Amino acid sequence: MSHDHDHHHHEAAEWHEDEDDRPLSVARRRFLAGLGIAAAGTTALAGPAAAHEDRRPVNPWGARDRWFAGDHHIHTKYSPDGQYEVAQQVAKAREHGLDWVVITDHGGVAHQKFSVDLVAPDIEKARAQHRGTLVYQGLEWNIPGAEHATVFLPPGRSTVDILRAFEAAYDGGVLSTPVDRGGKGLIARATSADGEPYALAALRYLEAQVLSGRTEIALMFANHPARRGVDSPHEIRGWRDAAPGVAVGMEGAPGHQAAGLATGRAGARGFYEASPNQDSFPGYAPTATENPYRTYGGFDWMTAKVGGLWDSLLAEGRPWWVTATSDSHQNHLDTFAPGTGDHNTTGTRGAPVDTGKPQVYGDYWPGFYSSTLVGAASRSYVDVMRGLQGGKVLAVHGRLVDGLDLRVRSDLDGRGVTVGGRTFVTRGADVEVTIEVRLAMRPNFGGSIPRLAKVDLIGGPVTGPTADRDSFSAPHTSVLKTFEVARTARGTVRFTHTFRNVDNAFYLRLRGSDGNRLTSDGGPVMDVVGDADPWTDLWFYANPVFIDVV
Amino acid sequence: MSWWLHAVPAEPLGHRAAHADALLLAALAPFRPTLAFTTVDCSTPVSRLAVTALVTGPRDGLVLGGRAEEVEGPPAEGRCIRFPGQDALTGVHAAGAIVAESAVEEVVGVGVPVAASDLVDTQAFLRPTLMDGRLVLLVERAAGGVLRPIESPDPHECCGGH
Repeated sequence: MSHDHDHHHHEAAEWHEDEDDRPLSVARRRFLAGLGIAAAGTTALAGPAAAHEDRRPVNPWGARDRWFAGDHHIHTKYSPDGQYEVAQQVAKAREHGLDWVVITDHGGVAHQKFSVDLVAPDIEKARAQHRGTLVYQGLEWNIPGAEHATVFLPPGRSTVDILRAFEAAYDGGVLSTPVDRGGKGLIARATSADGEPYALAALRYLEAQVLSGRTEIALMFANHPARRGVDSPHEIRGWRDAAPGVAVGMEGAPGHQAAGLATGRAGARGFYEASPNQDSFPGYAPTATENPYRTYGGFDWMTAKVGGLWDSLLAEGRPWWVTATSDSHQNHLDTFAPGTGDHNTTGTRGAPVDTGKPQVYGDYWPGFYSSTLVGAASRSYVDVMRGLQGGKVLAVHGRLVDGLDLRVRSDLDGRGVTVGGRTFVTRGADVEVTIEVRLAMRPNFGGSIPRLAKVDLIGGPVTGPTADRDSFSAPHTSVLKTFEVARTARGTVRFTHTFRNVDNAFYLRLRGSDGNRLTSDGGPVMDVVGDADPWTDLWFYANPVFIDVV
Repeated sequence: MSWWLHAVPAEPLGHRAAHADALLLAALAPFRPTLAFTTVDCSTPVSRLAVTALVTGPRDGLVLGGRAEEVEGPPAEGRCIRFPGQDALTGVHAAGAIVAESAVEEVVGVGVPVAASDLVDTQAFLRPTLMDGRLVLLVERAAGGVLRPIESPDPHECCGGH
């Protein structure tokens, strides 16, 4: 196989289609990844190198998209630490304005054996009961060698079969459980490094299901990525490269946002209260200046740190999107407690018990605090997933914004592209950025009308694949401009910025804040364990736009 | 006489830090070390938690699955689970007192300056780390205007810690 640059796009597609689970394939992918070729050699979501060959803007502005709010991380009584009926979660999600939800109970031996089949009819019933709300069946996958991830598919004839087979072969809990306890006993721990090749094979398996037509699309989002420090940078890059159509992003903000309330659980916001363990990446070390194991303004450190891990991926030109979810297991001040079923032997905790008394828990109902807004042409299962796959995604807390219109234009692209997009500019020409934000007019579920105080335009050069797969910094990415929102502003606010005489490929992204808790340089503050009121520290993050120079 | 012992426990120690530390210290019986560090042994594809401890007494009678050996000194980096002065530091103490009354050499705040008079709620669980040969206790802001160590004895575990 040649490594000629002019041809690698085509060849990448060839070996991509050949993917299977054979060890040879693992080795070959690693070899290519080491050369930095795998990063550029993606198919539909091509990197900047491939973009040179095909100058079609991605995510064109002005498409007839709407924002659909949703949540890709929700538990039920089919998780050993969950409690609700599917119907309860879906009804509450709908009540809180969500258009789509993914049911993601924890993978493991009992879930694979029982729950995956038990939950399917409940989901069918919820779909019938709440037409207009998309209810996906998914899984919270124990990524072998790493953290958890949402994996989900649109409804289809093979959906449950694919999920069941995937979990049996590739769930870190199943793989690490000894044979005499029903598992495979193939890896030492769910998070130990001997699991890493299984994670790549797992993602290639999902991609193969798409390529073979068994499902139209399948997606994976890494959940609470920095919580225990076990998602190393090379693993994240590896997932993306192994299945670029499937592994598309991570929770920018984890769930459990009520966990830090002083009047509640008084834990860490997001339950981010761990410290390094034996499977943690050594580079994620608490120091005098930062602690990767905490949230910052409710967002995961990988996303919240300007020039941090997320930016290091974007600076490579590597598409990787962020979301916000509830991770709802037990919702703060709800009266329900878990049922008395034995999950281990039946795959369910049984119907939850109404105690009649509000309980102190760490989570919020789906849609109550966190939402992932997805730009899609229609409220259909596949369209919403395509929007997620293409990065038309905003991660929002406390309804700080209901939507956002980003338009990035150049001399070569007068129409421009929007969030998650990719466009082109002639070397030396200008790039014009227009941002329109609809300010919130109604109270959020915390009872107040959220006030957007500022929008930051963040960006940096796109420098191509890095030689160090464990790199997690982008030193040239920074806040380029801050737009203040007047206190008196109502309706829609509009900002513009022009990048003049552009001579290098770059990317840009947006974040916004209610301005209540800011560091001296305008960033989010590390959340205080036991004293983090999420309603007074609201942020949104918009996914990037890549601009290539031709 | 005192000597440095390094051991890799054969049994998995579970997920909870406080629990694992107690098991490690128990496994060192009959020795009661004056200093003990956990380190991560990355010499095999599956990393393992190891312990390096300054112990006093004869070099036999060890459990630990027989995987103990004598080493020359403390590790270059490590998380300290046993140190002189630790037992007295169970409540709320001034940062200066922690340094004065124990082997901890410095109390460093994450993103917050620490004065000697600033109070640290130890939660009876101090795990300073060895950084450049110094025993440093990292602390963070906590509720109620005090500081707390960044490591919790019993952090929330999702789904049993898978």
